[in-house]
Amino acid sequence: MNPSVSRLIKIFYLEFSGILDKMLEALASFLTVIAVTPLMIRLGRRVGMVGVDVHKSSKPMIPKTGGLALILGSLIALLVHMLLNHDFHSLIFLSTGLIAGFIGFLEDFRGEMNPKLKPTLLLLASIPILVTGSYVPRPVIPFIGRTRLYKIYPILVALAYPVTCNAVNSVDVLNGSMIYTSIPFFAMSSIIAYYRGNLFILTMSLICISILVALIPYNRYPAKIFPGNSGSLFIGGLMASTAILGRIEVAAIIALLPQIMNEMHVIFSIGGIKSAKEVKSRPVEFVDGFLTASKDRSAPITLVRLLSAEARVSEKNMAYMMGVLAAFTSILAILTDLLLVEAWI
Amino acid sequence: MRLLKNLAAVLGLLAIVCATFLLVSYILASTLFPAIEQASQNILASILRVIVGLATFTAWVLAWYTLTKIWLYKVLLRE
Repeated sequence: MNPSVSRLIKIFYLEFSGILDKMLEALASFLTVIAVTPLMIRLGRRVGMVGVDVHKSSKPMIPKTGGLALILGSLIALLVHMLLNHDFHSLIFLSTGLIAGFIGFLEDFRGEMNPKLKPTLLLLASIPILVTGSYVPRPVIPFIGRTRLYKIYPILVALAYPVTCNAVNSVDVLNGSMIYTSIPFFAMSSIIAYYRGNLFILTMSLICISILVALIPYNRYPAKIFPGNSGSLFIGGLMASTAILGRIEVAAIIALLPQIMNEMHVIFSIGGIKSAKEVKSRPVEFVDGFLTASKDRSAPITLVRLLSAEARVSEKNMAYMMGVLAAFTSILAILTDLLLVEAWI
Repeated sequence: MRLLKNLAAVLGLLAIVCATFLLVSYILASTLFPAIEQASQNILASILRVIVGLATFTAWVLAWYTLTKIWLYKVLLRE
């Protein structure tokens, strides 16, 4: 064989064998979610952890236990990762998501939590990273370079969890919307981790992508299961940890702009952090199986309302469009990282 | 067709927000963050930096919300 071709094959093998190792954990988590979700659907119905699918004419009751399947899938992946690599760093990563997911589970199980108590409790998700000092308080800021934020950074770490978790939770309004908006974030973190050579974050991001992809057949329109608060807060917690441990803070904020925008505008337009029950006007109307934006000025401003202005959109298409927005900001995040951050690393 | 127009409008809005975020992060990193992180001899200058930093961030958030409202009511819903 031509020596240059054999060298190329060798480079290809070395480059991708590392990723293939990481794919094993991702595969384990994918298969676990696929296998466990039908059981979670039955469990949700049995214990009455169900919610109304409001954008359907028949208003069916759907189990809200998809988050438990996501958590189980990542626990299996963590076990495989620890056995293969003897790396306990992933425990810190996962524990942040587990704390956030547990808070979401409490809300799914016991009913809606005080809207001001929830963000306060979500601050607890930052404890594993703050206590173990797993963060590096020197983020790179575009046009400035590497900064030293020894006093501010721990505060930002604590705040990152309630902001991210609630932002992800706020887009979980349609069948599949939370999944379609979260996958681009982890795709972005995988790409950045890959070119930075950060195998840990690459593994964790691939695991997150695989558990989310595995839930698509069950959560896509028409949904058989909802991720619930446990699922969206768990994923939000993992996103915050990915940003902090992967040192991709600026890229993560840009990738999460649709979710942050949705959450922030809802809070602003209803005049503070309030329960959904206190909001009288809905952002969208459901007419003849289609979503259309409300023209009521007192209705909350949401991504779905923006996208359905003067239009009649099916729930399925709306969820895809939300995914397109997330994909767009994830591309902007990668470009920002490549052009304005990477030069300082 | 209308959905694609709305999508393009929201993508444009997000691009503007992304560009202004980079600007705001630059201003914060040169005003608020150094004022808190580094002990300065000139207290007045530090206070001014904190005020400028916080004012910039607040103005950005309010401008983002106002822009979205204009986008929704004037551009998308055409009131």
